[in-house]
Amino acid sequence: MISAFPLWKAIFHTKAELTKSTALPRADRQEAVELEDVEDLVLVRGAQNEDMRAYDTLVRRYQQRIYATVYHMTSNHEDANDLTQETFIKAYRVLKSFKGDSSFYTWIYRIAVNKTINFLKQRKNRTQMSLNDVDFNAENDPDLVALVSERTPRRDLNLSELQEKLNGALLKLSEHHRMVVTLHDIQGLSHEEIGKIMDCNVGTVRSRLFYARQQLQAHLSDYLK
Amino acid sequence: MNPVPEDFDALLKLMALKRHEQPPPGYFDRLPNRIMSRIECGEGEPSFWEKFQGQFIFRPAFAVGFAMAALSALTVSVFYSVRTQPLGFAQAPKNGWRSAAPEEAMTAGYNLSQPLHVASWIGNESASNPAPSLPSLFAPGAQYRPLPVSFASPP
Repeated sequence: MISAFPLWKAIFHTKAELTKSTALPRADRQEAVELEDVEDLVLVRGAQNEDMRAYDTLVRRYQQRIYATVYHMTSNHEDANDLTQETFIKAYRVLKSFKGDSSFYTWIYRIAVNKTINFLKQRKNRTQMSLNDVDFNAENDPDLVALVSERTPRRDLNLSELQEKLNGALLKLSEHHRMVVTLHDIQGLSHEEIGKIMDCNVGTVRSRLFYARQQLQAHLSDYLK
Repeated sequence: MNPVPEDFDALLKLMALKRHEQPPPGYFDRLPNRIMSRIECGEGEPSFWEKFQGQFIFRPAFAVGFAMAALSALTVSVFYSVRTQPLGFAQAPKNGWRSAAPEEAMTAGYNLSQPLHVASWIGNESASNPAPSLPSLFAPGAQYRPLPVSFASPP
C-alpha cells in the first residue's frame, strides 16, 4: 500500500523544515566576518530559520547600496537613514515569502524602491535637502575639476554649490524618472536589472532614462556649457 | 526644434559627483546594529496580514483550501437564500383582511376590501363621495394596534 503521508508532508512542510539542512550554526554576531563569502541564498535560508547572524551579514552586504539609492532619491540623509532601516526590517518580516525566484539583491532593492516611492508620494513637494558631504576624492576627479574650473560659466562655483544644483535638478524629476537615473547613471545597474526591480520592461526603462536625462540637461544647462 | 542636445557626456560626468556624496564617517558601522536591535526588539515580527500573505505564497495547498472554503460558503449561502422566504412577505389572513382588522375599524364600517395599509382615499377626486375622515393619529385618546403588513395581493 502506498502511503499518502509523503505527499502531505511535501505540501504542508514548514519553512523551518525546508531550511533546516541549510541552517547556519549559532555564533556571536562578531563572527559575521566568516560569512562574508557565503552566498546570498544560503544566508537567506539561515535568516529564514531565525539565524540573526546570517541576516546581519546580508544587512552589512547591501546596506551601502540600499542607503545610496534611497539617499539619491530623497537628497536627505535623515530620510535615507530611516528608509534604509525600515527596508531591512520589512525585508526581515516578509523574508519567509522569499522563494528565491529572483536574487535577494533584486528582491531587497524592490522593497527599498517601493518604500521610497511611497514615501516621496506621501511627502509630495515638501522636499528639504540634507546633503551628505562630498568626499576628498571628488576634488581629484579630473572630470569634475574640469566641469567646475573650465566649462562652468561661473568659475567661482565650488563643488558644494554644484552638488546643490544637481540635487535640486534631480528633485524636479518625477519619482520614477529619478529612480531610473539613480539606478542607472549613479548606481550603475543595467537596464535589465532596473526593469526587474521596477517591474517594467527594458523599453520603458530606456525611454524613462532618455527623458530624465533630457530634463536634467535642460535644468542644468547653465552648468554644462 | 529641440534646444537640448542629446549628447549626455557632460551630464554623466556631472552625475559622478553624486557618487562622492558619503554619509558621516562610521555610519555604516553603526547602521547594522541599529537595524538588528530594532528587529530583536520585536519590530521584525510579521503582522497578521504579512503572515497570511506568507502562507499563501509559501503553501499553495493552503491557498487552494482557503479558496475552496470560500466558494463552499458562497454556494451554501446562495442555496439558503433561495430557499428562505424574503422577510416581510407575510401570508394573507385565512379569513381575509377583514378578520385581521381591529374591532374599532369593524364598528366604524370602513371599507376593508383591500389591505389596511393601502389608503382607500388615494386617487379619490370625487367631490360628492369624499374620502372618509379618519381619526387623527395624534388625537388624544386614540388607540391603535399594529396589524400585520403584507405586500401580497389579497386572495
